[in-house]
Amino acid sequence: MKSSLVRQALILVALAFLPGIGQAIYFRDKVSWKLPVPASEMVTVVQARAWGENAIWIDARPDEEFARDHVPGALSLNEDRWNELLPQFLAVWSPEKKIVVYCSSQSCNASREVAHRLRNQAQPPMQNVFVLEGGWEEWLKSRQ
Amino acid sequence: MAQVATVKFLWRIVDLIVGGVFVCTGAIKAFDPIRFASDIDNYKILPWAIAVGLAFYLPWLEIFCGIALLLRRFYLGGLSILAGLISVFVIATVAAKVRGLDITCGCFGHASEKWNFSTHLGLDLVLFGLVIFLLFAWGRNFTASQR
Repeated sequence: MKSSLVRQALILVALAFLPGIGQAIYFRDKVSWKLPVPASEMVTVVQARAWGENAIWIDARPDEEFARDHVPGALSLNEDRWNELLPQFLAVWSPEKKIVVYCSSQSCNASREVAHRLRNQAQPPMQNVFVLEGGWEEWLKSRQ
Repeated sequence: MAQVATVKFLWRIVDLIVGGVFVCTGAIKAFDPIRFASDIDNYKILPWAIAVGLAFYLPWLEIFCGIALLLRRFYLGGLSILAGLISVFVIATVAAKVRGLDITCGCFGHASEKWNFSTHLGLDLVLFGLVIFLLFAWGRNFTASQR
């Protein structure tokens, strides 16, 4: 019984490698194995602040968190109400402006998702989209 | 006799439920491995490169184990792997909560991103209970067939 269990488990473990490797090859240009977000697409609070009026700040957190507090001048744009909120962002957006997207902390995912959608799905697709390192937590620290 | 038939029927139903859940959740994650890699990365346990590797591999392991349950081929191996996977998911989810991480659990793919911690944990534990039931049922059946 035990040897059959191990043999079966090993076969399943080995079988799963085949499509996994195939997918890794298929996605080789779409994902970096070094960094979740390429370093060129990240920005620190200090750098982003230095951009001043040339930057549009996007708050990717849920509405209630945005309502509680946010970076001065930031616009709310989250995945829950993407279609509703996108027009207000497009109204102020221009190609030469840099877009800084943040969510609650370093571990949150929303800013990456929103940045990804702006780069790839927005019409027109946008360049100069950056994810804020450390997110809102880091902004709060820099304010103290 | 009727009781044995009922238990076997129940066993098969649980097989189909657990197998189906893992095929579906595996397929959701396999469809978007980059998102799943982000979900794994959110736990802050593994380096990004390993998260990417797991994101390509784990969904397929779940799918194959799910199919093993549905077809009852490599059944025991599939069940054991699933029990191990769910245990890891539960431990990682609880550890993330204890460390105060604001995570999107990857256990059920991105479809579960709006679920709260209790829902994630509850569902993981229910699945774990079902897998243990299946292992127990298989063990009893094996013992009976040996007599």
